[in-house]
Amino acid sequence: MSMYSVLMNNIKMTLNPKDVIISIDRPKILLLKKHIDYLAKYGTDQDDYEYNMTEYLRMSGIYWSLTAMELMGASDRMPKDDIISFISTCQNKESGGISACFPHDPHILYTLSAIQVLTMYNRLDAIDVEGVVKFVASLQQPDGSFYGDIWGEQDTRFTFCAVMCLSLLHRLDAINVDKAVEFVLSCMNFDGGFGSKPGSESHAGLIYCCVGTLSICKRLDALKVDALAWWLCERQLPSGGLNGRPEKLPDLCYSWWVISSLKILNKMRWVDKERLEQFIMACQDPDTGGFSDRPGDITDPFHTLFGVAGLSLLGNSKIKPVNPVYCMPQETIDRLKLKPQML
Amino acid sequence: MHGRVKVRTTEEERARKEKERQEKLKIYKHAMQQIFHKRKEGELDKNLLELTGKVLSSNPDIYTLWNIRREILIILKKADESEEEMSQLYDAELQLTEYCLKINPKSYCAWHQREWVLTTRANPNWEKELSLCNMYLKFDERNFHTWDYRRFVVSQCKPPLKDEFDFTTDKLMDNFSNYSAWHYRSKMLVELYPDVEGGRPIEDSHHKHELKMVQSAAFTDPDDTSAWFYQRWLLGAVKTNIEVAVYTVSPLKTTVAFSKPVNQTYVASKIRLFINNDLVNGEWQSCSGNQYDVLWIFKHNTDVTDSLDVKMEYDNENGDVQKIPGVKQNGNTYVGKGEIDFQRKYSKPVIEELINQLDSCRQLLAMEPDNKWTLLTTTVFLHCIDAKQYHKEIIENLHTLKTIDSWRAGYYDDLITKWSLEDQLAIDYKSDSIDFKIKFDDKITSLPHLQYYSHCENVDLSNQNLSSNVLASLELLQNCKKLSLANNQLTTLQRFPNLNLEELNLTGNNDLDQEELEVFKKNCNYSVIF
Ligand SMILES: [Zn+2]
Repeated sequence: MSMYSVLMNNIKMTLNPKDVIISIDRPKILLLKKHIDYLAKYGTDQDDYEYNMTEYLRMSGIYWSLTAMELMGASDRMPKDDIISFISTCQNKESGGISACFPHDPHILYTLSAIQVLTMYNRLDAIDVEGVVKFVASLQQPDGSFYGDIWGEQDTRFTFCAVMCLSLLHRLDAINVDKAVEFVLSCMNFDGGFGSKPGSESHAGLIYCCVGTLSICKRLDALKVDALAWWLCERQLPSGGLNGRPEKLPDLCYSWWVISSLKILNKMRWVDKERLEQFIMACQDPDTGGFSDRPGDITDPFHTLFGVAGLSLLGNSKIKPVNPVYCMPQETIDRLKLKPQML
Repeated sequence: MHGRVKVRTTEEERARKEKERQEKLKIYKHAMQQIFHKRKEGELDKNLLELTGKVLSSNPDIYTLWNIRREILIILKKADESEEEMSQLYDAELQLTEYCLKINPKSYCAWHQREWVLTTRANPNWEKELSLCNMYLKFDERNFHTWDYRRFVVSQCKPPLKDEFDFTTDKLMDNFSNYSAWHYRSKMLVELYPDVEGGRPIEDSHHKHELKMVQSAAFTDPDDTSAWFYQRWLLGAVKTNIEVAVYTVSPLKTTVAFSKPVNQTYVASKIRLFINNDLVNGEWQSCSGNQYDVLWIFKHNTDVTDSLDVKMEYDNENGDVQKIPGVKQNGNTYVGKGEIDFQRKYSKPVIEELINQLDSCRQLLAMEPDNKWTLLTTTVFLHCIDAKQYHKEIIENLHTLKTIDSWRAGYYDDLITKWSLEDQLAIDYKSDSIDFKIKFDDKITSLPHLQYYSHCENVDLSNQNLSSNVLASLELLQNCKKLSLANNQLTTLQRFPNLNLEELNLTGNNDLDQEELEVFKKNCNYSVIF
């Protein structure tokens, strides 16, 4: 390769409007303590605007923070007893489903988050487990798909929530797994990826959901692995970050969804891990702590989890191993004796 | 949470903003309290519609508020609200979602509410919805919510499929970089123009037409990736059958390997094993224990001894019965091989088009030799047209790609491995050898197609670039006795499968932990060299 073309490549790299430039003053090492303090403090101010306005996804917020804290070995900084009694109040007595926050309505997204938190704490006794099983099973449709709640929104995210939730409870027998798989496969696209419903465009987040579902159901054989993994590794941009769809900006959460899928497919070597690590490190905020979607943006617990979990998959020794399917500590998955399929 | 740039502000500004936010918060909290109170009291009325509407206008993602609105609309309808009145309420609901989508075009809740209203009300105006989609796609041609909504509308009002196909053509003519349009097009192409007679996914003339369209798109700007994915799909859109790769009948074990994963029902109904012309009865188990697998183990009670006549019959996908004779190896083992051919089979017009386009690619490459997409496409074309003839050039190109697209060096390494192995397999399958050894210069980085070597007793994978993440796939070497993984990059043996080996060579894997090795050796009933 000539000098000239190296130069051309570099120019193209910096001119790419669909990527970010990581300035040299961005963090390059893991600011572990800052993140722990950031998450420990998050939500302690009951008058915080951001915290209040995200009440409708509180349960997932707790899952993001607790999982990140578990992975950083600092879960003792979370108010365990408060969290457990909070979850108890969020379960709907009639349907068995769990809401984001009382008195909001039960939904499968928050039911899963609650189950993930309670399994990490090993405190499933705090809720009516049979009620949860009944709720999740009631959402399966004749075509195998799952609704998010009684209102009929259909999405492969909800299939993943259902399958993950029931597998954590060792109750996959409560649903028609073959039908669930059949539905997921009906969402497969020309590029080997998956969207939210049949006909929908491939999207890294939904690919993670569908690959995760097939992993738990031990049906990874049905994937077009080479096409899918190639599409996934093409998500990596010159900056090292990954986007969720072609021609989009890189984002830390997509970085997680892409590499966790690649990990399940045993193709993580198809991306440049060093450059990805640089991108993730650059998404840290050295002042406030936490990670953001892109270098220089405002941090939040959601991206903080995916930053920490991403570094874990890349083998960072300061973070505990994460399970790529469940996005929970591997030690929790081992304790539950769960063995999702990995290629 | 997305795209909020952190800006440095003065203390004064910050305080002012905080005060503003606290005001807003107070109003929000009060409204939410009122809403939940009214709901608890069963006051599902128009006043509650107004209250929830106000909050949703600035926070369209509060899902419970949409639920409350649906509850109210259902109750009002039941309560004999006049048809005209209901129609107005539904119109107002649609206006609210439109307003919310202006604030957040990616609000799942608002899109879903729109769907709910249209499927609930009488006489929905689908044409209006379709033009709304057109308008939204002008603002953001990649919003997948809008595309999903469009597909929903289309599924209801059912315009001719060809109209939608033409819509994607228009969108692509505006901007070839519209991946969403390529995606939608792929769905309709196989619906509108399948090759019914030939069994290919796409009818010839349309296959050719699409390839031409990709070419004009891709050559407009080779660095715009959208069209390339569509092209790779078109190139892979050929008919492939499930084939028997190889079967092995030994005194210890009977295995059958397939080109693709199959389930037990498939194997049990399509495969028959005969020994001395007697049908052998038995039970099929997958090698991995999973429902679908490329390697199946046949448990039977027939003694496998010297000088037998072993034969397998396979009801293949063309409807023929394929008879595969077993050839005797030493030690009373019989091996039968199917025909292998990894070359993709295109129709004549398509292959002519590919040869044409290869020519243009080469010209382009001459001007810009280090353009990744041009080089990758050239390479893929070469592989599709004649993988054997162009093998050397293909591998050279992949090496170049490793340097100009270093982000994906691992991908190109695995392609070199896969395509080199396919090249070698064609030769290996002409001999009766039960040895497997890498016969090309590039070091392999993965183990694709390993089921094709499931009959081999001596497997030499030494001096390669294999890491520990390939170990699980060694499970396919069910008939292997001597396995060498010497001089690779193994770091752990955690995923090493259960195999009936006689000897395993692990020397020269310098990052393997001595302690782990000792424990591993203790648990093995075969000799482990390290
Ligand atoms: Zn994000």
